[in-house]
Amino acid sequence: MLLSVSLTLLEGLVVTLQLFALTLLFALPLGLIISFGSMSRCTPLRAVVRTIVWVIRGTPLMLQILVVFYGPGLMFDLPLLPRFTAAVVTFVINYACYFSEIFRGGIQGVPLGQQEAGLVLGMTKRQIFFKVTLLQVIKRIVPPMGNEFITLVKDTALVRTISVYEIIWMGESYIKKGMIWPLFYTAVFYLVVNGILTLLFGWFEKKLDYFK
Amino acid sequence: MKKRLISMALAVALGLSLTACSSGTATQPDGGEESTAPQTQASTAPADSDAAESDLQYVKDKGTLVVGMTDFAPMDYKDENGGWIGFDADMAKAFAESLGVEVEFLEINWDNKLMELDTKGIDVIWNGMTITDEVTEGASVSEPYCKNGQVVVLPADKAEDYQTVESLSGLNFAVENGSAGAEQLDLLDLTYVAKTTQADALMEVASGASDACVIDLLMAGAMIGEGTSYPELTYTVQLNSEDYGVAFRQGSDLTEAFNSFWKDAYDAGTVMEVATTYGVQESIIEK
Amino acid sequence: MPILDVQHIEKHFGDTRVLEDISFSLEQGQAMAIIGSSGSGKTTLLRCLNFLETPNQGKILVNGETLFDADDPATQREAEVRKKRLHFGLVFQSFNLFPQYTALENVTLAPQLLAQEQPDFKARRREILEEISSQGQALLERMGLADRSGHYPHQLSGGQQQRVAIARALALKPDILCFDEPTSALDPELTGEVLKVIRSLAEQKTTMIIVTHEMAFARDVADQVIFMDSGIIVEQGEARQVIEHPREERTRQFLSRYAGS
Repeated sequence: MLLSVSLTLLEGLVVTLQLFALTLLFALPLGLIISFGSMSRCTPLRAVVRTIVWVIRGTPLMLQILVVFYGPGLMFDLPLLPRFTAAVVTFVINYACYFSEIFRGGIQGVPLGQQEAGLVLGMTKRQIFFKVTLLQVIKRIVPPMGNEFITLVKDTALVRTISVYEIIWMGESYIKKGMIWPLFYTAVFYLVVNGILTLLFGWFEKKLDYFK
Repeated sequence: MKKRLISMALAVALGLSLTACSSGTATQPDGGEESTAPQTQASTAPADSDAAESDLQYVKDKGTLVVGMTDFAPMDYKDENGGWIGFDADMAKAFAESLGVEVEFLEINWDNKLMELDTKGIDVIWNGMTITDEVTEGASVSEPYCKNGQVVVLPADKAEDYQTVESLSGLNFAVENGSAGAEQLDLLDLTYVAKTTQADALMEVASGASDACVIDLLMAGAMIGEGTSYPELTYTVQLNSEDYGVAFRQGSDLTEAFNSFWKDAYDAGTVMEVATTYGVQESIIEK
Repeated sequence: MPILDVQHIEKHFGDTRVLEDISFSLEQGQAMAIIGSSGSGKTTLLRCLNFLETPNQGKILVNGETLFDADDPATQREAEVRKKRLHFGLVFQSFNLFPQYTALENVTLAPQLLAQEQPDFKARRREILEEISSQGQALLERMGLADRSGHYPHQLSGGQQQRVAIARALALKPDILCFDEPTSALDPELTGEVLKVIRSLAEQKTTMIIVTHEMAFARDVADQVIFMDSGIIVEQGEARQVIEHPREERTRQFLSRYAGS
C-alpha cells in the first residue's frame, strides 16, 4: 500500500517539479527585465511597470490562476490554454514580479561608488554590470531568493483548482477512498525537495562568503 | 468585436506611453477616453456562448466528449487499472458512442464546474449532479434520470439521539461548499463549515472535527457503514428528495441529444442493467 | 603648455550653483592641493574632471586637446567620454574597491579589459596578461603591499585598502591623478601611511590634484594650492604662500579654524 501510494504521489511530484522548474526558467530572466523597467529613468515606463508589479503582488495567486485559465473563455470566448500551460504562465508572471523586487533591492543595494569606480577606470556600462556589479547583486539576493524558491515549491499546490494533478491533488484523491494519511504523507515529499533546496542555497551562500 | 476594441484601446494606451518614453517627456496618455468607453460596455455585456452554432456539431468535429466529473463512487470512480467506471461513467461512455465520438473523463474542481463548462474546458457535467437553481440558471440541464436525497451522517453511537430534523439544532455540520446539502442546512438555519468535497465533509465527521455532515444518499449508501472505510458512521435523517441531472452549456443542442439517448437506452433496458451493476437501480427514474 | 587647462567651469544642480567660473591650469609633474570647507564644491570639481558630472559651462583641455566643451555636444558622446576619462585617475574618499576581487585583481581588472580591445590581444593573450599582472604586482610593491596582493578588501585595513585603490588608479597610467579627500574615511593612525605614499608619488613627479583637509600635508607636498569657498576659487597660488601668508580674508578665516589640527 505504502509503495503504491508513494508511486502515485511521485507522479504528482513530477508535475509539481515541472511547474517549479519551468517557473524558474522563465521567471528569473523576466524578473530581471521587469526590475530594469521598475528602475527606468523614463517615468511613464516606470509607472506602468510598478503598477503591474503592484497588481500582481497585491492579488492572490489563486485568483490569478483562475483569471489566466478561465478568463479568455469567460470574457472573450477564446479557446482555453492547456491547463498546465496556464499554470506555468500564471506562475511565471507572478514570480517574475516577486523576483523583480528582489533584483531591484539587490541592484540598488550595491553602492553607487562601485559603478563610479568602474567608470573612472574606463569600463563600459556592460563591463561594469558583468564584472563589478553582478556578483555583488547575486550575493545580496541569494538569501531572499532561497525563501522565494521554497515558497514556490509549496505554492504549486494551488494549481489543483484548475485540475492540474500535482502532488496535493493526488494525496487528496485518496480521501474519497477513505484514506486520509496519503494527504499528510505528501509533506514528506515537500520536505525532501525543500531540504535539498536549503542545502543548495546554504552551499551557495558559503561559496560567496569569501568577500563582504 | 467589443473585445477587439478593448485590445486596440489597450494597444493604443501602451503605444502612447512608450512614445512618451522614447521622447523622454512625461505626457499623460490621452487615449484614456477612448479606452474606457468600450471597456465598460464589454464588462456589463454577458459573455455570449456559442449557442448560435451547434454544440453537438462542435463536439462531433473535435471528436471527443470531455466529461467533467469527480471521484464519486458509485457514479464515477477508478478501477484497479486506473480507468473510470461507475454508473455515470459507463452511461457517459455509451452516450459518447451514440454520438460517434471518444469519451474523455476529466477530474475537475467541483467549485469551478460551471466555469469549466462555459469556457469549454469540459463539454458536460455528469457526476451525480443534483439539479439545483445554481445549475439550472448557469447551464442547460437534462431531464432528471436518478433520484437522490440529502442525508445526515454521524457517528453510529450517537445516531439514536438525532432521528428527527428538530433534534439537529446545536450540531456542528460539515458540508460540501455550494452543494444541495448546504442548501438544505441553510433552509434549516443550521451552522456548518463548508468543505471542498463531500469526502472532505465525511473526513470532518470521522476525525471528530464536526459533529455531523450532510451528503448525498447515494454516496452515503456506498461509502459509510460496515465493510467501508467509515464503519463507525451511519446516516439518519433524510432532509429532502431531489433529482440528478446532466448539465450542458446554456442553449446547447446536446441536451436534446442526451434526453433522446437516455429514453432509448432506458427502453432497451441498458440503463437498468448498468444501474444494477453499481447497486443504484432503486434510484433510477422511470421513463 | 600646461598639461591641464580648466576654463570657466560652471555647474549647477537645479537652482543651486555648485561651481562658478572655475579656471586654473596645472603643469606636468606638479601637485595641486584644493582646500576649502565641506560643500565648497571641491569634490564636484574633481568629479567634473573625471566626467562623473557634466559641467554646464566651460572647457577642459589636456595637453592642448579639448576634452570637454559645454558648447560642443560632439565632445560629450558617451563612447568618447570613456576614452577621455583615461587621462584622469581618481582615488575616492571611500576607496570603492571591488569586494569580490583580491588586491591584485582590483589593480589588474581595468588594464585587462582595456587590453582586450587591442587588435593583437588574441594572439598575445598570455603574454599581455602576464605583463599586466607583473605590473600590478610591482605597483602594489611600490605601495608597500607586496605581501597583500592575494587579500580581499575586507581582509585589509582602511589604509591598506586606500593604497590598493591608489595602485588601481595608477595602473592605467593617467596623465593626472586625482585624490578626493583620500584620508578622510581613515582612522587617524592610518592616515600617515597613505599620505606617505602620496608624498613619494609627488617626489616622483606624478601630476596630481589632491582635495584634502590636511593643511600641513598640502603645504609640504603641493606646488600649488587653490582655496575654494561657495563654488568659487577665492585664492590660488604657490602652496607655502597661500597657506602661510594668505592674501584673502576668507582664506585666513578658514585656515585659522584648521590651525589647531
